[in-house]
Amino acid sequence: MVPKDFLDIASLSREEVELLLEQAVPFKELFTRSVKKVPALKGKSVLMLFYEPSTRTHSSFEVAAKRLSADVIDLDVPHSSTVKGETVKDTVDTLQAMRADYIVVRHKMSGMPMAIARQTKASVINAGDGAHAHPTQALLDAFTLKEVFPDPAGRKVLIAGDILHSRVARSTSTLFGKLGVEVGFLGPGSLVPRLGPEGIVRFTDFDEALQWGPDALYLLRVQMERQDVQYFPSLHEYHRVYGVTQERFERIKGEGIYIMHPGPVNRGVELCHEVMDYERSLINQQVENGIAARMAVLYWLKPGTLLRQGKEGKAGGKGNRR
Amino acid sequence: MRILIRGGAVAAEDGDPVRGDVLIEEGVITAVAEGLKAAKGVRVVEAGGKIVAPAMFDAHVHFREPGQEHKEDLAHGTEAAINGGVTGVVMMPNTSPAIDSAAVVRTLYDKAAEVSRLPVYTSGCITKSRAGKELAGIDGMRKLGVTMLTDDGDSVADPALLMHAMEYATDFGMFFASHCEVPELAGPRALNDGKVSYQLGIVGSPACSEEICMDRDIRLAHAAGAHVHIQHVSSALGMETIRWWKERGVRVTAEVSPHHLIFNEGDIGEYNTHYKMNPPLRTAEDNAALLAGLKEGVFDLIATDHAPHSEFEKGQDFVSAPNGITGLETALVSLFDRFVVTGEFGWDLLVRRYSAEPRRLMGLEPVPVAEGKRADLIVFDPAGETTFTRQFMKSKSVNTPFLDQTLQGRVEMVVRGEEVLLER
Repeated sequence: MVPKDFLDIASLSREEVELLLEQAVPFKELFTRSVKKVPALKGKSVLMLFYEPSTRTHSSFEVAAKRLSADVIDLDVPHSSTVKGETVKDTVDTLQAMRADYIVVRHKMSGMPMAIARQTKASVINAGDGAHAHPTQALLDAFTLKEVFPDPAGRKVLIAGDILHSRVARSTSTLFGKLGVEVGFLGPGSLVPRLGPEGIVRFTDFDEALQWGPDALYLLRVQMERQDVQYFPSLHEYHRVYGVTQERFERIKGEGIYIMHPGPVNRGVELCHEVMDYERSLINQQVENGIAARMAVLYWLKPGTLLRQGKEGKAGGKGNRR
Repeated sequence: MRILIRGGAVAAEDGDPVRGDVLIEEGVITAVAEGLKAAKGVRVVEAGGKIVAPAMFDAHVHFREPGQEHKEDLAHGTEAAINGGVTGVVMMPNTSPAIDSAAVVRTLYDKAAEVSRLPVYTSGCITKSRAGKELAGIDGMRKLGVTMLTDDGDSVADPALLMHAMEYATDFGMFFASHCEVPELAGPRALNDGKVSYQLGIVGSPACSEEICMDRDIRLAHAAGAHVHIQHVSSALGMETIRWWKERGVRVTAEVSPHHLIFNEGDIGEYNTHYKMNPPLRTAEDNAALLAGLKEGVFDLIATDHAPHSEFEKGQDFVSAPNGITGLETALVSLFDRFVVTGEFGWDLLVRRYSAEPRRLMGLEPVPVAEGKRADLIVFDPAGETTFTRQFMKSKSVNTPFLDQTLQGRVEMVVRGEEVLLER
């Protein structure tokens, strides 16, 4: 049974993850064709409900939906941090009347997409909620990792940065864990929780973390303005202690470690600008794969129909479980 | 009116319940003994296998009046109390306007006299509007009988102001109740700092936020010669803090709530706001430590922190939803179901900690089921069941984790003076 919503990684089984990753493959192949569109979601409508500003995720979802021939409606909602549950409920009640098939939600408050999903018949897709989850990001990350390591089980990925406030760290580490990838967290002691992450190796020293032998280094965007109180002294010091400095970059290159980043990057903070031209940087691939991964999610949740095998390219292959 | 409650066992602060019939005449208990005969005209209540206990008293409730009557009010709150076997309550002053002057207290007491079948006591604010800036109208409230001062919901951030208040009001025979929290450490005040806060992606509130403030307030009270009562202790180290100070003879009392004994952060699941309160639910280890503290007498009393909120408010996302759950209707049955049935403690503890001690804290006489005492008692069926449906609940709000659950034990009757307040 395909669930109504796509809210987090924790509730997905390994089989569901594998299925979604498989479905994304033919969608990515589509991008090299002259016509990049399939009629899979013709007549379906996707409402974009972004309470937090986002360029990348927003446009990625929009492109994904349009390549599936869905109608995209962008709801003009206030990008304010003060938007609370009560106002959101009113909005959702309004949306219910529009009979959207999908609602793609981003919100500053952890748990908001779950609250919305309970109140609507539409399929809710979490496009990032607070520090809780960013499941489509995790999916595109896993897809990207599998492109370089087709069988990623036993590989090691080091996720570095502000783990405490990062929904990407939570979702991506959970998904990688489901694929048998070993995950390490690296960051300042104040930003890597001691309690909580299970089965994850905790590092607060970059060299020790490299000693661990990661196959990929996943850098998170570090922002001081996100923090209500200071967790580390300065961005300059962060770069020196936890950033990919030129010196560390030499070592990373030498060991052939892949670099990932959810974007947008802060040059001079989590990485030096040389990293961007590194042949083993997967950052641009992640962006492209984001569209394919989101198409796979939209397609998987497709409401109301039993999908027939073989139709609409390979993508229809395993989608007939609803 | 004369009532003979026949065949039950009488519970008291000390010892196990003892078989005894209870005769009430004109609101006074005139005999407690086995084999009492019913004279003509005496109403007989058969209570075979049941417990006859002193009625409970809750020293920590939010009745939301004035200002937030969509959540609760005096009429519904006191009916909820009766429904749970509670015949006296102490209101918290975080209403709007806050209960910070004689005028508000008088209005409330007048209203309570009109709409309530129970005596209602209120605490008063330490500072005006609970803003932590200026002292409230302390003497005016004292003249109306207020003895407990608290800014419950918040701590008084300025230790000097709190200490001055303690020095000032102690000589008026008043005492202080502390909601302990260092707000800078408490984050968005939604849940405990730990495993669950990581999983849910919400910056947690560490137990030390509560423990530091608790320790501060006890030290301030000690220095000022005041009595401080620590509210809703939620952590093992918090319990140990109280124990440490008590062992040194410092005048401190403390309460624990049923929810901190029964639930922990693991119950929150996927953002279930019926498990959101402040201080937050902590860990299973904390549950065990709090229970040990209750049994060992570290906690003087059990209080519910009955905190009604509308379904709409609790239906928001976890961070935005307000803190607190209702407790008056579920406390006794849930404590019985979880701890008496399992043999963790007996009726003596329930009576001492949820009936006698809270009354003593407020300067009131306990209400033992004994000859010569005014009747203020409940009949409780340990073999019965209670299902906490919306229909069952008399509170205006149903924000409790026990909603629609069936627990063992049932409050069958509540008698206060000449009045039978409840009979099922």
